[in-house]
Amino acid sequence: VTTLKIIQTLTAFTAAALITAGCGGSTSSDSASTPSASAPASTDAPQMSDQQNPPTRLVIDVTIKGGEVTPTNAQYQSAAKELIVVRINSDVADQLHVHSNPEHTFNVEPKSGQSFQFTVDVPGKVDIELHQLNKTIATVTVQ
Amino acid sequence: VIGDRPTAVLAHGLGGSSDLPIPYTYALIGAAWALTFTFAVVALAWRRPRFDAAKPGRPLPARITTIVDAPATRWTAALVTLLLAAWVAVAAVIGPQDGSNPLLGVFYVFLWVGLVALSLAVGPVWRAISPVRTLYRLTPPSRRDAPSAYPPAWGYWPAALGLFAFVWLELASADPGSLAAVKIWLLLYLGVTLAGTLVFGTRWCARADPFEVYGVVASRLSPLRRNVDGRIAIGNPFDHLPSMPVRPGTVTVLAVLLGSTAFDSFSAMPQWRNFVDAHADSVPLGAVAIRTVGLLVFIAVVATTFSLAARATGGVDRRTRRELPGRMAHSLIPIVIGYVFAHYLTYLVERGQQTVIQLFGLHAEVGYVLSTHPTVLATLKVCFVVAGHIAGVVAAHDRALHLLPRGHQVTGQLAMMFVMVGYTFTGLYLLFGG
Repeated sequence: VTTLKIIQTLTAFTAAALITAGCGGSTSSDSASTPSASAPASTDAPQMSDQQNPPTRLVIDVTIKGGEVTPTNAQYQSAAKELIVVRINSDVADQLHVHSNPEHTFNVEPKSGQSFQFTVDVPGKVDIELHQLNKTIATVTVQ
Repeated sequence: VIGDRPTAVLAHGLGGSSDLPIPYTYALIGAAWALTFTFAVVALAWRRPRFDAAKPGRPLPARITTIVDAPATRWTAALVTLLLAAWVAVAAVIGPQDGSNPLLGVFYVFLWVGLVALSLAVGPVWRAISPVRTLYRLTPPSRRDAPSAYPPAWGYWPAALGLFAFVWLELASADPGSLAAVKIWLLLYLGVTLAGTLVFGTRWCARADPFEVYGVVASRLSPLRRNVDGRIAIGNPFDHLPSMPVRPGTVTVLAVLLGSTAFDSFSAMPQWRNFVDAHADSVPLGAVAIRTVGLLVFIAVVATTFSLAARATGGVDRRTRRELPGRMAHSLIPIVIGYVFAHYLTYLVERGQQTVIQLFGLHAEVGYVLSTHPTVLATLKVCFVVAGHIAGVVAAHDRALHLLPRGHQVTGQLAMMFVMVGYTFTGLYLLFGG
């Protein structure tokens, strides 16, 4: 009898859990939009490797001035194999590290209008970091 | 300009991406299951203790015990590990002096996570393969009595300190990916462990070697064990769990393991990173000091909540009450192991491959089997956390029936159940990414 009671209770709770979960899911699915990645300026798009640019891409604008980095610890969403462009205006030389699998490294020079592009093939949370200043610019959640 | 310069590494000292957060719905379902089971166990489960560390397991064929215990097997395993350690040391010195050196993967993946998986599967193997023990066995002092007896009051405290030193390097130090830092850490570990062993004999290894103690903790959840007569047997892990030795520092060891894992995912949150960046210049030692305090707070919260919850019962005298946290400590083991696997499974599988490739110079590609299947990975994570929680609750319930006087057996375990639900909800929340 006790076992039956346990099973009944569990079933009830599971049902409750699933219902709650279902409701939560439908409201919170705000799709993988790309915040502040709206302006894919096509004029100074870097001519590097990609022959066929995917339709969407993430552009992150970064300013390094007097040791201050903007933005820091920003959050972005992206998709696997989607092009990610980091545009940098800097007054110092540094190194840009992209902690994806595999990793990417770019040399930042003290000048304006540099851009670096890469794709991330393996989903995960990817930190984009300035090595010398030891600051994390952004974390891109690659779905 | 793409440069193939030495890549400094940040997260966990290993670089690369970290896991995607688990979806909201998964966290909710996991939380609901955890609550349900806790409720079911407290309200409806058995009223008489069922699990007993003295209950013998089902013995495996005697031949297995003979082979495992044969000096040839023991020496082979010990010497192969010693050779591997020497190989890693050579690679650490003459290999590439950057993030692609295999030392980092051996240290952060194999020693920290691989050893847990191995101990869980087959028992406390570090005892058999520890390079320090092997070196000691090869020297003359091992054939005499140890000069001093290990003070019983020290218990597992040296191991707790060692484990803290490890998680501090990984989660709080200036650069966990620094090869030099890892080398210094390992040299200190070797020095302290060898010196301690020369003074106190192998008991020092058993009580103070952080990896051996971590392995013992994980092995208590293993179905494989030894019966009193030394026969290797297979049995219910719930019977095995209470055999975790209760010594000074047992609760602290478990608190370091659980607290540091939680701090690991907490420190990936942007709010925390902003906080560290904003205050790094205004305190001495900067970010390192802030992260160290954060890590200590997480460990202290686990140790305090668990100890208070274990003591929160009526009907026991003062002395028994003081003993309760230690005697309940084994019920934290499944929670720790579940959480560790939820966090570090991708590391073990994917960075493990990368480390093997680096270590032996193989021409192979890492298969990102888990990262490329986020749904499978998220499901596994929730299953690990919830399964760990359920096992923890079951073990705690059974032990409460053992320890608490009649009339306080239900009320006396409420605080503990509440705290365990708290751990699991926090764990799921952190895996969900806040």
